[in-house]
Amino acid sequence: MLLASGAGAADGTAPEGRSIAYVITNLSWALQSTPEMVECPQGLNDGVREQFKQLFPEVADRPREFTDTQLRRQVESYHPTTAPDALPFREGQGPVAPGLDLDGVNGSEDFTSPEGVRGIDNQMHRVLGCIANYRAPDGPIRFFEDEMVLRENYNRIIVQLTGVDSLADDPAVDVLIFRGRDPVLVDAGGLKALPGGTQRIDTRWGTRYIRRMPGRIENGVLSTEPVDLLYPWDAFYMPTDHYMWGARLQLALTPEAAEGLIAGYADVETWYLHMQRNWSAHYQSYGKSSGPSIYKAMRRLADAVPDPATGANRAISSALAAKFTEVRVLPFSAAEIAAIAAARPGFPYGGMPARRPVEEELAETGAGGAPATAVAARGNH
Amino acid sequence: MRSASRDRRRAAVLAIAVAWLPATGSGATPAEPYVAEPMPPGFRVESSELDGPVFADPRGRTLYRWPYRTMRNGVTGDGNGESNCSATPSTESAGLMSPYPGGLLLPERGQRPSCQQLWPPAYAADGSRGVGKWRVVERRDGRRQWAYDGAVLYTSVRDRHPGDVLGGDSYRDDGDAPAVRDPIQPKPDLPPGLAVSTTLRGRLLHTSRGFSVYAFDGDARAHSGCDAACEQLFVPIRAPAAARAHGEWEIFARASGERQWMFRGRPLYVHAGESRVRSLAGSDVPGWRNVYTQEASPPPAEFTVQDTSAGQVLADARGRTIYSYTCGDDAPDQLSCEHPADTQVYRLAMCGGGSAERCARNFPYVEAAKGASSRGRLWRIVTIDTATGHWAADGTPGALRVWAYRERPVFTFAGDEQPGEVNADGLGEFLADREGFKAFWWRDEFFRE
Repeated sequence: MLLASGAGAADGTAPEGRSIAYVITNLSWALQSTPEMVECPQGLNDGVREQFKQLFPEVADRPREFTDTQLRRQVESYHPTTAPDALPFREGQGPVAPGLDLDGVNGSEDFTSPEGVRGIDNQMHRVLGCIANYRAPDGPIRFFEDEMVLRENYNRIIVQLTGVDSLADDPAVDVLIFRGRDPVLVDAGGLKALPGGTQRIDTRWGTRYIRRMPGRIENGVLSTEPVDLLYPWDAFYMPTDHYMWGARLQLALTPEAAEGLIAGYADVETWYLHMQRNWSAHYQSYGKSSGPSIYKAMRRLADAVPDPATGANRAISSALAAKFTEVRVLPFSAAEIAAIAAARPGFPYGGMPARRPVEEELAETGAGGAPATAVAARGNH
Repeated sequence: MRSASRDRRRAAVLAIAVAWLPATGSGATPAEPYVAEPMPPGFRVESSELDGPVFADPRGRTLYRWPYRTMRNGVTGDGNGESNCSATPSTESAGLMSPYPGGLLLPERGQRPSCQQLWPPAYAADGSRGVGKWRVVERRDGRRQWAYDGAVLYTSVRDRHPGDVLGGDSYRDDGDAPAVRDPIQPKPDLPPGLAVSTTLRGRLLHTSRGFSVYAFDGDARAHSGCDAACEQLFVPIRAPAAARAHGEWEIFARASGERQWMFRGRPLYVHAGESRVRSLAGSDVPGWRNVYTQEASPPPAEFTVQDTSAGQVLADARGRTIYSYTCGDDAPDQLSCEHPADTQVYRLAMCGGGSAERCARNFPYVEAAKGASSRGRLWRIVTIDTATGHWAADGTPGALRVWAYRERPVFTFAGDEQPGEVNADGLGEFLADREGFKAFWWRDEFFRE
C-alpha cells in the first residue's frame, strides 16, 4: 500500500546512469478490507450460485427450463444492461478507502485514505469492497490475478525512470512505461521476486503499452502526471488488458523496489470484458461475485469520462495497489528506440456493439420500474 | 433464446444429407508417417488434413473413442470396454459443470438426437475376432462393438469422406472442455526423442520436451550449410550410433563426424535459447522454418495474419480477427452445440442475447469473397441461414456463403475495432473451452503451447 511519507525509502544518491527501472510483481484493486468488515455492515454479496437459487428456487413437480434459468443468467452476464438489479447489492462503505485524490475536490462521495488524506476518489471500492472475490488479503480472484502478474510474461509491466538525479528528491524525471519480454528473476521457490534481473523491451507485440509521462520525486515518492493507460493483465492465459483514464503513479522508491498506487478512472466496458474473458460464471462463484450485478453497480457508480452521445459516465474512479522490483533493462537498440517513438497507445474497449435493450431484461426479470436495489446508504462522511 | 425455425432447420438438414463419398481434395503435403500395426480385416488408416493418420473402419469412416472424463461435478464418458452412449435422447442437464445445478430441462428436446444417433457404435460383424489392440466387446444390448486399447469405438454422422475428422478432434484441451470424442490414431513414426502435435498450421514436429524442430533453407540433402557460428543459434539434432534410418527418417554425418537426423532429406535442428515450447520464434530468422510432418491446408487466400499483443491471429481481408465458436452442452452425453446441424440456442444466447439479428451484428459470419472456392477440406465455403444458424436449403432468403473451419462457420467480432484486437477471445464459459468464441491463433507467443 502507499507509503505516504516515503520515509526511509531514498538513499539520496542518483542511480547508476541516472536511470532506474522496476518490473511489476504484484497488482490488485485497492480496497478497504478490514478483518471486522466494518465497510460491509450488511455482510458480503451473493454470487452466481446463490443468486441462481434465489431467482429459480427448486419446487417439487415444477421442472425448470434450461433456457429460462441458466441460459437467461448467462445472457444477463454476456449482455449486461443498466436495468435495476432484481437482487440486492451491497456497496462498500466509507469513510476509509485507499486511493488518490484524482480531481482535487473533496466531494460527498469521496473517502479518506488510511493515512488520513481526504478527497480520495475510489468508487471502485463501493463496487468491489463487499465481494469476497476481490477483498484483501486472499479473495480468490484477487489472489490469482495477483499471482499471475509475476508468473505470466504477458503482464510484464516495467516502469523506467531516466534523468534521475536523486531517488529522494528530483523535481523532473522522465517516466517510460512499457512491457518487458523476459521472466522475472525469482528465488529458488519461484514466488519471491529478486532485484537485479534483466529485461528486454517488447517492441514486437507490446508497443500499444508504451507510454511516456513526466514525473517528480518528493521525499522518496514518485508522482507522475496523468496519462490514459492501457496495461496488460491476464489472469488465466487470456490476452486481456485494462484501461485507465488519467492514470497516475504514486510509488515509494528504494534502490531495490517500488511500492504504491496506480490510480485513475477504470474504463467500465474494458474492465467488464476482462472479467468476462478471464472469470466466467464458475470462477465468479469461487468468491461469490456476479457479473450482472457488478456491471450494474459499476455503471451506476461510474463518475468520469461521460459518453458524448449519452452523457453516461464510462469510467469509475479506482486505484491499484502495486509492487515492483528493481530490474536492469538492456539498452535499447536503434530499432527499439524507433519503435518507442512510433508507438501508438492502445485504447479502451467499446462494449458489445449490438447491445441488449434495458427493456428486454426488465421484461424477463419482471423488475420493470423497480428502483435500484443498492442495499446500503451511500453516506460515508 | 429459443430456436427461430425448427421446420427450416429440418429442411436444411435433409438438404445436406449425402451418401458416403470418396475423398476428394486431400492435403497438399505428404502424409505423416506412422507405425503400422495389426488391424481387423478391412480396417485401415486414413490421412486426415489436420489430425494426421487416423484409424478408419472398412468403409473409411474415422473411428472415435469417448474417453472417461472427470468434470467439475462428476464424471462422464465410457469406461473400459463399455459404452455409455445411449440410444435415448437426454432431456435434462447433468450439472457436470459448475456453478449451475443439473436437472434443468434441455432446450429443443423434441429435436434433440440421442448419443447413438450422432455417434453410431462401430458394430462388429458376426465372426469378427480381435487382433493386436483391437477387441470385440459385448454391449449391454447384446450387440458386439469394436474396441481399441480398451476404448469402445464409434463413427460420427458428421464425417462423409474418408479422412474426415469432423465429429471430434485430437487437439482440444482437456481443461474444462466438454467430454469430447477423440479420433483414434496410430503411433506417429518418429525417432526417439521427437514428438508431434496438432496445430492450426499442421502437425508440428518438436522434441519430446516440446521444443520446436527447424530446417534451414541453406541445407541440402545430407549436407548442412549451418556452420560453427550458425550452430550457436541452431543446434543440430544428433543421432546416437545406435540410431538407424527408417522410412523418411535418415541420418547423415556432419563435417565434424557427428551424425544428424534428417526428415525428408532436410537436416533437423532446435533453436538455442528458445524460452517456450512449440514456439515459432526460430522461423523469424531468415532461411529457417518450423518442420511439420504434415502441413494443414492453408487458410482462405482472402484471409490475413495480424499482430496482436500476444502473437498473431488469422483475420479477414479487413484485418478483423477470425473466431471459432466452441460448444458442448451439459447433458450426460455431452453433445456438440457448435455445428450448423446442432442446436443454435446456446450460440444465439452467447452472441446476441437470444436474438439472431443482434448475433449477426455482434459476430458476423465471414462471408466468402465472390469467386472464392474451398481450399482442401479443412477450410470450406458453406451456406448458412443467418436467421437460424443452420445449413441453408437452396433458395432460403438471407442465406450466406460463409467460410467454415471443420464445417463450423467462423466469425468476426464487431467489438474489434482495429486489426490485431482479440476482444472476444475466451468470451464464454470456462475461457470458451466449454462454450464461446476463440480466436484463431496463428502464432501464440505467450500462452498456448
